[in-house]
Amino acid sequence: MKNRTDAWKLDAFVDGELDLAGQLEMEERLRDDATLRGEVDELRSLREIVRERADRHAAPESLRARMAGVLESRTTPASVPARSSHPRAAPRRWFAWQPWGASLGFAAVLAVALNLAWLQSATQDRLAEDVVASHVRATLGQHLTDVASSDHHTVKPFLSSRLGFSPPVPELQLPGASFLGGRVDYLDGRPVAALVYRQGEHIVDSFVWPGSASDSPPVFAAQRGYRTAHWSRGGMNHWLVSDVNREEFEAIVAALRKADTSP
Amino acid sequence: MTEEDDRRRFETLAMPHLDAAYNLARWLTRDAHDAEDVLQEALLRALRYIGGLRGEGARPWLLQIVRHTCWSWIRQNRPAEKVQLDDPDEAWRELPAPAADEPSAIAMRKADRQQINDAIAALPIPYREVLVLRELEELSYGEIARIAEIPIGTVMSRLARARGLMRAALTPTLRPALRTVPRPAQGGAKT
Repeated sequence: MKNRTDAWKLDAFVDGELDLAGQLEMEERLRDDATLRGEVDELRSLREIVRERADRHAAPESLRARMAGVLESRTTPASVPARSSHPRAAPRRWFAWQPWGASLGFAAVLAVALNLAWLQSATQDRLAEDVVASHVRATLGQHLTDVASSDHHTVKPFLSSRLGFSPPVPELQLPGASFLGGRVDYLDGRPVAALVYRQGEHIVDSFVWPGSASDSPPVFAAQRGYRTAHWSRGGMNHWLVSDVNREEFEAIVAALRKADTSP
Repeated sequence: MTEEDDRRRFETLAMPHLDAAYNLARWLTRDAHDAEDVLQEALLRALRYIGGLRGEGARPWLLQIVRHTCWSWIRQNRPAEKVQLDDPDEAWRELPAPAADEPSAIAMRKADRQQINDAIAALPIPYREVLVLRELEELSYGEIARIAEIPIGTVMSRLARARGLMRAALTPTLRPALRTVPRPAQGGAKT
């Protein structure tokens, strides 16, 4: 029996958290060691049943409502257009929150300097935020795709039939990249196509919808820890978002634009 | 203007992670009401600090605040929960060895939702939190290390220990801390 000095290594292996050398070494060992293989199987079983059966507690509505109330109370009605990108519970004041108002205001003043850099083109920013929010919602929830298929010829008709336009569905030809499928999302006040790719461990969302803008080269930005790029081509608006690093992100944009054969 | 900006940032960045935040608070406090109370406090803190969040994942950032708030709350309200940690670096040595004649995978497969939930709830907090963050929130070791403010090595040993305890709890034939001598396994593999 092998000494169990590296029990944690098995866990890390099962979790895909070993570095490449460690991963290869472990695979090597597993080939020769049935006991170790049994251990790995058990760890995988455990992981599977926990993920499958344990409760994931969703935040109660009451909490959302309170939070909405707090956020509303911090808003000067005149300066803020209503946001309607997702339904929110009716704002309700919750009195216990009130004493926090003063310190929140103070923190907000402190934040002025920090936030000045963010105050750019308002519409583009809002769209970028919505893009990131959609991406985050999709990656957090279990709902990445409405149609899960790596076959572009399955995804394209699915989206076309639901959207009233036919989005280009380019292949992402990069090492480590795969196509997961598509979903219908809601951005810029309309339903849009969201194409979902995986690059390594990261999810890449590509939003596409028709627009009247003439062709424009990609504009890159970093938005709250996510990278975004947007461009127009062939009468389509494109927004790409992911948390991959800059080099990979730029490579993805280039590959998608190359593969997109729209006029 | 900035208040509005803060508010919008909070909505965009923090609110999408509300379920994850609640789930963590719920598992740490093991009570729906307490979880809600603690999470409210955590969210207010998050709102205050949202201006400082940049270039990093919003989810680990928020979960770190939630986790921190939970621990303070538990220290104050449930001093009895202050668990004596097994020596994290040694803990894995006591992992039950697999019973070769009855694969515990089979016994585990029979565990229902209630048994799984009970087994997680019974874990000492430091193990419970890494398990919840890993299995239910599917965070990377690096993110868990940041959230729980421990080194990655400790994440690894605690996670291995948490899973060892889970396996022991879900497979009654296994006696924790009792090492069975494995027989020459199926397929005659050398051990």
